[in-house]
Amino acid sequence: MKKYWRSIEEFEEDSKIEKLPEPEFPIEGLAEYEINKSGTTSRRDFLKMLGFGIGFVTFAASCENPINKAIPYLIKPENIIPGNANYYASTFFGGNDYCSVIVKTLEGRPIKIEGNELSSITAGGTNARVQASVLSLYDSFRIKTPLKNKQESTWEEVDADIIGKLDEIAKKGGKIVILSSSVISPSTQSIFEDFNRKYPTAEVIYYDSVSASGIIEANKKNFGQPYLPSYNFDKARLIVSFGADFLGNWLSPIEYTKQYSKNRKVSKTNPDMSRHVQFESTLTLTGSNADYRIPINPSQEAGTILNLYNRIAQKAGKAAITAPESTVNVDSLANELWAAKGKSLVVSGSNDVNIQLVVNDMNYLLGNYGKTINMNRPVYTKQGIDGQMDNLTKRMEKGEVEALLMYNVNPAYDYQNAEAFTDALTKTQLSISFSDTLNETAKLAGYVCPDCHYLESWNDAQPKRGVYSLTQPTINKLFDTRQAQESLLIWSATGGTTEAGENKVENLVEEDAYYAYIKKQWRSNLFPKQLKYAVFSEFWNHTLQAGVFTVSSVADMITRSNYPYVAVYSAANIADCVLKLKSPKAGERAIEFSLYESIGIGDGRQANNPWLQELPDPVSKVCWDNYLAISKTFADKNRLSLGDIVIVNDIFELPVLIQAGQADNTVSIALGYGRSSAGKVADGVGQNAFRLVQSKGTRLYSGNDIKLVPTGSNYILALTQTHHTLHGRDHVRTAMLKDYKENPSAGNEAHLIAEEKKQSMYSEREFKGHRWALAIDLNLCTGCSACVIACQAENNVAVIGRDEVRKKRIMHWIRIDRYYAEKAEDPDVYFQPIMCQQCDNAPCENVCPVSATQNSKEGLNDMIYNRCIGTRYCMNNCPYRVRRFNWYEYANNDKFDYNMNSSLGKMVLNPDVVVRTRGVAEKCSFCVQRIQEKKLGAKMENRELMDGEIKPACLQSCPADAIVFGDRNMPGSEVSKAFANERNYFLLEEVNTRPSVGYLTKIRNTESKKNET
Amino acid sequence: MTRIRNVSVKSYLMKFIISLIAFFLFTTSYVEAKSETVLTRDSSALVENQVTLDTAKQNAKRSMRSPAELFKSCARCHSIGRGKLIGPDLAGVSARHSGEWLIKFIQASDSLIASGDTAAKRLYEENEKLPMPRHDYSNDEAKSLIDYIFFETRKLEADPNFLDNDFSFAHPSNTWPFIIGVLFILFGIIDWAFLKLIRFKFIHIILILAGLAISGKAVTEEAIYMGRSQGFEPDQPIKFSHRIHAGDNEIDCQYCHTGSMESRNSSIPPASLCLNCHNVIRNGPNTGEVEINKIHEAFESGVPIEWVRVHSLPDYVFFSHAQHVNVGKVECKECHGEVEKMGRIQQVSDLSMGWCIDCHRTQKVQFDNEYYLSYKQHEDILSGKISEVTVEEIGGLNCQKCHY
Repeated sequence: MKKYWRSIEEFEEDSKIEKLPEPEFPIEGLAEYEINKSGTTSRRDFLKMLGFGIGFVTFAASCENPINKAIPYLIKPENIIPGNANYYASTFFGGNDYCSVIVKTLEGRPIKIEGNELSSITAGGTNARVQASVLSLYDSFRIKTPLKNKQESTWEEVDADIIGKLDEIAKKGGKIVILSSSVISPSTQSIFEDFNRKYPTAEVIYYDSVSASGIIEANKKNFGQPYLPSYNFDKARLIVSFGADFLGNWLSPIEYTKQYSKNRKVSKTNPDMSRHVQFESTLTLTGSNADYRIPINPSQEAGTILNLYNRIAQKAGKAAITAPESTVNVDSLANELWAAKGKSLVVSGSNDVNIQLVVNDMNYLLGNYGKTINMNRPVYTKQGIDGQMDNLTKRMEKGEVEALLMYNVNPAYDYQNAEAFTDALTKTQLSISFSDTLNETAKLAGYVCPDCHYLESWNDAQPKRGVYSLTQPTINKLFDTRQAQESLLIWSATGGTTEAGENKVENLVEEDAYYAYIKKQWRSNLFPKQLKYAVFSEFWNHTLQAGVFTVSSVADMITRSNYPYVAVYSAANIADCVLKLKSPKAGERAIEFSLYESIGIGDGRQANNPWLQELPDPVSKVCWDNYLAISKTFADKNRLSLGDIVIVNDIFELPVLIQAGQADNTVSIALGYGRSSAGKVADGVGQNAFRLVQSKGTRLYSGNDIKLVPTGSNYILALTQTHHTLHGRDHVRTAMLKDYKENPSAGNEAHLIAEEKKQSMYSEREFKGHRWALAIDLNLCTGCSACVIACQAENNVAVIGRDEVRKKRIMHWIRIDRYYAEKAEDPDVYFQPIMCQQCDNAPCENVCPVSATQNSKEGLNDMIYNRCIGTRYCMNNCPYRVRRFNWYEYANNDKFDYNMNSSLGKMVLNPDVVVRTRGVAEKCSFCVQRIQEKKLGAKMENRELMDGEIKPACLQSCPADAIVFGDRNMPGSEVSKAFANERNYFLLEEVNTRPSVGYLTKIRNTESKKNET
Repeated sequence: MTRIRNVSVKSYLMKFIISLIAFFLFTTSYVEAKSETVLTRDSSALVENQVTLDTAKQNAKRSMRSPAELFKSCARCHSIGRGKLIGPDLAGVSARHSGEWLIKFIQASDSLIASGDTAAKRLYEENEKLPMPRHDYSNDEAKSLIDYIFFETRKLEADPNFLDNDFSFAHPSNTWPFIIGVLFILFGIIDWAFLKLIRFKFIHIILILAGLAISGKAVTEEAIYMGRSQGFEPDQPIKFSHRIHAGDNEIDCQYCHTGSMESRNSSIPPASLCLNCHNVIRNGPNTGEVEINKIHEAFESGVPIEWVRVHSLPDYVFFSHAQHVNVGKVECKECHGEVEKMGRIQQVSDLSMGWCIDCHRTQKVQFDNEYYLSYKQHEDILSGKISEVTVEEIGGLNCQKCHY
């Protein structure tokens, strides 16, 4: 059997771990200082307290009892039935993540984000950040009124000031710049154009904190189009990625995960899957899922790519170039790529134009354009050209920019030369920020015109050419905010501007200026491009309901000719690229670094979201901090161990984390942390790694000039890695694809043995109605953790903060266990989502002294909070460690000042699930509230339940479709099919708990165990 | 030594009993406090008067002068319901004469008498031949005045206690049994220790035990009822009577409580729904325009009506009306009692878990719903093993049916 391990410490000290350097289980009982605090209570005090307690409780119970108010609507909105949820299609866009979503609203407040299955891009998938975005709506740090010189102001005053100043600047020919993150909304772009018409000296500059400038500029050189292409991972049989974390953060991770999983779904009838080779420095989510993963330093990337290019160029009959030496042998990879011509895909996460030019050429030689890469549907989610931003800062320094309007950008935090920018900002006459929070940049702006949250806004989006979606408000504006587009409309309107503004306040949706604007745009631009609806209002209503609209290819052909991109392809001079891609000479290599976005925090724009802060990174399992990831060899060499604090480049201190699979001489740091003005949750969490970004034409997120100085002190990271361990058992079962082809139950032999031996001292339960069960395909699960946040949102799971996580008290009902196998330098990685297994012979039930957990007639393991007295016997007896304990009152408690401590934050709570109080155990319920809701729906419609109708939150959020849920008693249901699959097994099935959660074995498309590529 | 200990034991016992009494008074005082609040919350009379004035003012808009204003000149000679002054008592005058006749009489009684109208003549005779002076009221004004008198008359006839119910489901108070029990105990102890009126000690013991039993039962019952509000019958911001709406007028429950078929909440109707009828029906038999105007006022001012919630379940209980009413075909009155006989709405069931469970044990499932086709109980029904399925048999007693 393979050796599995969960942390470097465990790997190294496998024998020692029996002695447990830290307790295996969550710390039982109160912590030491907590005991000391309460250790002085004598018997008499206890009796006094008891007597007083009884009296007080009685008093409280009797007095608080009755008067509750019930306040009905005055006029009930036609489409709202109090108690029933309404769903609206909308669009989320923030940085990497474009996602078409369905917003669940209850009595007028959004409480949950779900994927929109009608979208051709995300097809119902979401990720953690999309799921968490609903909580950002209820962020108390949002700006509540427009600000003028940091003072609260009114829209009338701000408008009058700004229009006056803009007019003045425009009159004398002063430069006005709109600095914006990439805009995918055609209407917003059109508003920018309108603004430009009114103020001809205005100019729009796009700036992305994590840019894709390299690809954009390379494509401009090759195709004349400054856009990202559409990648089709579903059409690629062989995926080679150089540092592109396309399942986690690169460009459009939800879309790519959806596509990727299509080719990873193996079955007896279709036992083929794609092969995925990943070269990268730090272990990313994507690398964890790769069939072959080769750790390389950032400096080796160019060499490896050029060598691979050389091999392919040779095969294509092109002249070879003089490539630098590569430490990795890529011969067999080149052969495979050549064999998979037109069915392969080479991507690189590098932001270096030259690397991207080589990669483009490689894809061109492999005939991938038009097959796995489509330039016909360019992607607009990243448009920033880094040079323009650098140039802007220089112009601002010279005082050439009179007015700066900042939309959706935060350069004072995420620009590599933030100080230069903030200094230059003072030289502008007029600086306006549209930020909805008083972030690092907004703080410095003369005027802040707070934008609305996307759930309060109208907008449209065109993430890809021809693919549109709409954003619609799902709640009335919480504060006196105004959409940036509307502000621009008012400022660029000619005459009668303020009147338009007043009208808007008087009338609601119908008179919303930007709403009318979008409709006008759609009427003239998109309505003619479809043939289905003859009347615009019908077209509009249907699109709004569906949330998405794709220009059909027929209509597209009518209106615009297809761009013959393959024909216009002009190869760049690769030799020239080689010259520019000087790799450092061997021997003088300093310590290299690479920067990456973490799964939860991303580029930091939602950093103040406590759900995301407490989301353990799927790979490192750290939350509430960023850290310096180093390899084991590096740690040994420099005598560093987990948590040792190191000064990085004399700028900041970070604790180290020994990351398995980390390239040897490279350290990695997550971006998005170290916010100084994001709100009370994020401020001071981690360090800002954007300051290490290098600027060499484009912004480079790696480099080789990092200086590390150990301080000798140590820091305890909030690490969930060794929590709830199940050590020593084969919880992950895996097989190689070729073995699976020969024997479908390869790697799963233990299941057959367990089934044979199956016997029980309990009588067999009979399930006369439903029997709920859930199956997870480990081959599809990428570990992206969308389910963790989805579950948290659906089930009102508390956020407990860094200190409590350190004590292993994290409350998540579903966790992603991550296992390493084999070598520490280059491990195989396995993800396994674990939630309550809903055992038929549940060990937790037998030990509960008050029967607060019981088996139901539908195969669920019911947990009753109001009966629980908090003995925690169940937690100790659960072999899966899925039960959580409320050590404190996490709601209405100033010590846990997260979303459940303010009336604003509490608006996100799901009223279907009770908020647990102190002293009770809790766990996954298979989203029983959703089961009950769908059952009731079917009964009301007098019909049987359909398979797949009930979707627990985890399943619904999953972009990889790794989870199926249903009725095991229903013949032909997806879940019963999954349970009958040869790959299916149960966790710890040898202990005969009879779980209702099945796992399908992980299949890796490797030829043999760990060899050369 | 032993004696001292005895004394201290006794003093402890006394302290205990006293604290028990204090404890009990605490709990029972709640019941009284509740009835007090019912009384104090009745003090909306002041507000009502204002409301009448306001509505009268509103009428004035229609007829230039308000009927209340107009009536001031009538009041010199007439009363409504307080007997004859110079002229006759006007209570019920619109029942005695037609509206048309009354208008003519108000505007110019002398010419009506002169025209030989018998009724006018008779009135003239009956009232010492003092003719009523002419009034320059327009037809509309006169009409509003007649309406005003009509509703003032109705007010006289109104039953001030029309909301009262002739039944209460509130549990009987345990104060007296408790006091009696405590007295038994006290007497037993005091007599045993000091008075020594009774010779045989076993009688003391019996007295004390009986006292403990009686007061113990009272305390236990009180503890069980704690937090339950069976019989709860608060005053509502509007004197709404279910007896009139659901009883006399036989309005279906779901006409107003629309959510009960499709949502977990049966929902209290929005003011706009009240106005479906009360746009036309502006006067009630008991309170005239006053209470109905509250709906209009809420509607116009945009301030919603804050009803006092009667049936409340704890936060940790999930209950769906749609499941019970729509799917389970449970009649409303099975839980809510005979609402059509209630003035003020009252909580009939105790809404305790035991009460829920009792019903789930016996209630038959609507098994002909096609939803249940996949249930294996169908085989048992076909084979004749069972004829019906109770809620319990399909998991109705499972905890996560209601608690999640």
